[in-house]
Formats: sequence, structure tokens, C-alpha cells
Amino acid sequence: MSLLVLSDVCKAQMRGSRRVEVLRDVSLEIEAGELVAVWGRRRSGRSTLLSVAAGIEPPDSGEVLFEGRDVNARGTRILGDGVGYCYTGASAPGGRTVIDHVRSGLLARRVAEPVAHSLAYDALRRVEVERSNELTMGDLDTAEAVRVAVACGLVLGPRVLVIDEPTKGVDLLERDAIVLLLRSLADEGIAVLVSDGDGSGLADADRALTLSDGELRGKSTPAPGGEVLSLRRPAGTSSAV
Amino acid sequence: MRSPTNWTVLGLVIERESYGWELWKRFDLLYGDVLPVSEPKVYGAIDALLGRGLIELVPVPPGVPSVGEGGQRPHYRATREGLERYAEWVIAEARAHHRRSLLFARQLGALAHQPQDALAILDRYEQACLDDKGARVPTVRDVPTVGEFPFRVVPGLADRLASVYGRDVKAATLAWIEYARREFQALADGARGPR
Repeated sequence: MSLLVLSDVCKAQMRGSRRVEVLRDVSLEIEAGELVAVWGRRRSGRSTLLSVAAGIEPPDSGEVLFEGRDVNARGTRILGDGVGYCYTGASAPGGRTVIDHVRSGLLARRVAEPVAHSLAYDALRRVEVERSNELTMGDLDTAEAVRVAVACGLVLGPRVLVIDEPTKGVDLLERDAIVLLLRSLADEGIAVLVSDGDGSGLADADRALTLSDGELRGKSTPAPGGEVLSLRRPAGTSSAV
Repeated sequence: MRSPTNWTVLGLVIERESYGWELWKRFDLLYGDVLPVSEPKVYGAIDALLGRGLIELVPVPPGVPSVGEGGQRPHYRATREGLERYAEWVIAEARAHHRRSLLFARQLGALAHQPQDALAILDRYEQACLDDKGARVPTVRDVPTVGEFPFRVVPGLADRLASVYGRDVKAATLAWIEYARREFQALADGARGPR
């Protein structure tokens, strides 16, 4: 079974007084080491899809399985525990330093402060913004903020990373570097699921799909015989990052 | 002159003065995936360009031995006319590409009475678009290194231009497919008659 499986997922939302089916019988499987991109226009439901995949919100029907477990079953928690969701659009507390922001997830899980600091620094180094670790979140440009968001997800040692529009608002010349970063994470064995609105993330993905009128189109399952990559960590980084 | 090989060789000469073998290697590296070419064909293109006055031999400075005496190979450079004709050709190609896209869109419209067939075509077109890797982000491995071509003017520029162009076109194409699918789906559902 694939690492992350969405089966016949349906989800509706109220837009004003109108009920809109944003996901209709959506099925998707993602394997370790895959970079999967979902393209959709604004309000196509791509953010909802990622939110459901990460276990942030439950589907109305259908199921989401992570490592074979129903993520919406009572007592199951995958967010931050196997699945990392990168809040690229969320504004972090302005006065907080980058390193504090990244390690906050670890401290919330009662990781000792020196360890949390070290792991957070490793995560920042992995996404190549360690030099910004003492800056405040408000000092970062968009590309740096995206990298820090990825570090926040990465620091918890996920097997799956979910990132909503990682290149949105990022300078054209910086987008390539973001895409290559995500590609490299997938090559290390992490399953990476991204949404895309500008085409930046599609060509380097192992699979690209489109979401329109609630329907997911494209190859919903990994290529047959695809190798399941083991998690490999770059030398010199901690086991959690 | 119709041969895209000839025009592409002209572009390579415009990029910088060059000689036959190196032109072939650069051609293969930069365009080999979309326009495969053999070495003799590149030399044929050089002859054609010389014959039309679009490129010329770089004069050998006095005292430099000729190629037969172990000197440098004959180098070519673009003439003013070559540069102007190349610019015209690039623009004409872009227009032709645009016209082909319009042609496809209109030809699809011929299937107004067979919307299911049109939808099937759109599905296949969309999948081909999603599978296309032509707009990959250029990596260091893809970009010719300085060592390979010590005089490369702007390393990787062509790759980056192609990559960004390809991605923008892909996003626009997917958006168009989504629109066209809605039109044909409406026809298939009987909600709208043919226009």
C-alpha cells in the first residue's frame, strides 16, 4: 500500500449561501520519494485537497490513509507525526526569530530546548536559510519565508510534506530554486505533495495532476514498479531532519 | 531558407564566433532533445549560410598559420544581414506557433456535435501536457559548464528562457483545456446547442 492514500474523498464547502462540492470522489496515492503536484485555478479546491490529505480537515466521505491508518479515526494524529504541513501563507508572529519559529513545533512536543534548537538549525541549513536564523520572521522575503515554512515541516521528521503553492508570490528567478529544493527532498525519500497555480511545480514533479470542478485528473497512482525509496539523510544532519 | 537546422546554426554563430565541430557539439547540447542533428548536417548548414551571406569567415590575423599548418580552424561570425534575418525568422516562428495553436483550437470546435470525442481528445491532450518534462528547471548538470565551452556568452540563459516559457505555456494550456472541457461538457449534457 502507498504511503498516503486518498480514496473516493468528497468535500463540500459553503460559499456564501451556496454549497459547492470542491472534492468529488477524489482518489490519490503517493509513494515515498515522489514529488506530486496538483495544478488548479484559484478556488479550484487545491488547498482543500492538501488540507484533507494532511489530516487538517476531514473529508465528508471517503477515507485518507497514512501508512495504512485512517487519519480521521479517533485517536489518530498524523499532522506533525509523519505528515508535515508547511504554512507558506500564514503570517508568523512578527517579533519572533526564525529559529524560534522553526523550533516551536518541537518545543510543543516537549523536546528539550537545546535539542530543539539544534534540530531547528539543521532544518534551516537543509533549506539553505541558516544565515537568517536570528532574523525576525517579518524580515524575510517571500522565498525565504517559504524555505522557513518548509523547515518548520521538515524539523518534525515527516515522511510526507504537504505544501500549498510553494512558489506563489516568489520572484521568478527564485522559483526554480524552491522547486529544486522540493525535488531534492523527494529524492531523499520524502513524499512531497504540492499545489500549483502558475505551472512552476509541474515539470519537475514525478506526477502532475489537475483539479477542476472537484475532479482530480491525471495519474492518481504511482507508476507501476516504482521504487519505494528509503529515507536517506544527508551526512551531518540529525536523524530527525 | 526553410531548414530549422540552418536557422539554429545561425543562432549559434550569432551567440559567438565558432567553428564547425564546436557548432555541432553546442547544437547537440542545446537543441538535441527537440531537434536531433548529425555532424554533416551542421556542416551543410554552414555552407548554406555562407552561400547566402548570412555568416562569413573570420579573417585570420597576419602571421597566424592556416589550419593545414596546425593553425586554428576556420571560425565563422554572423553578418549584419544574418542577424537581421535571424530576428525576422524568430518572430515568424513565434507567429507560426501561435497560428498552429489557433488552428488546433478551431479544429477542435468542429467536434461540436461529437462532444464526447472532443472531451476524449482534451483528456489526452491534458495528460500529454502534464507528462511533458520539457520545461524542467535547469540544473547545474543541464547547463554547459565553462570548462566545456570556455567562450559561452551567458551560460544557461537559453535553458532558463526555455524553462520559464515552457512552464507559463503549460499553465496557460491547462487553463484553456479546463475552459474547453466546460464548453464541451455543457454540449454533452445538452445544456447548450452548437453555436
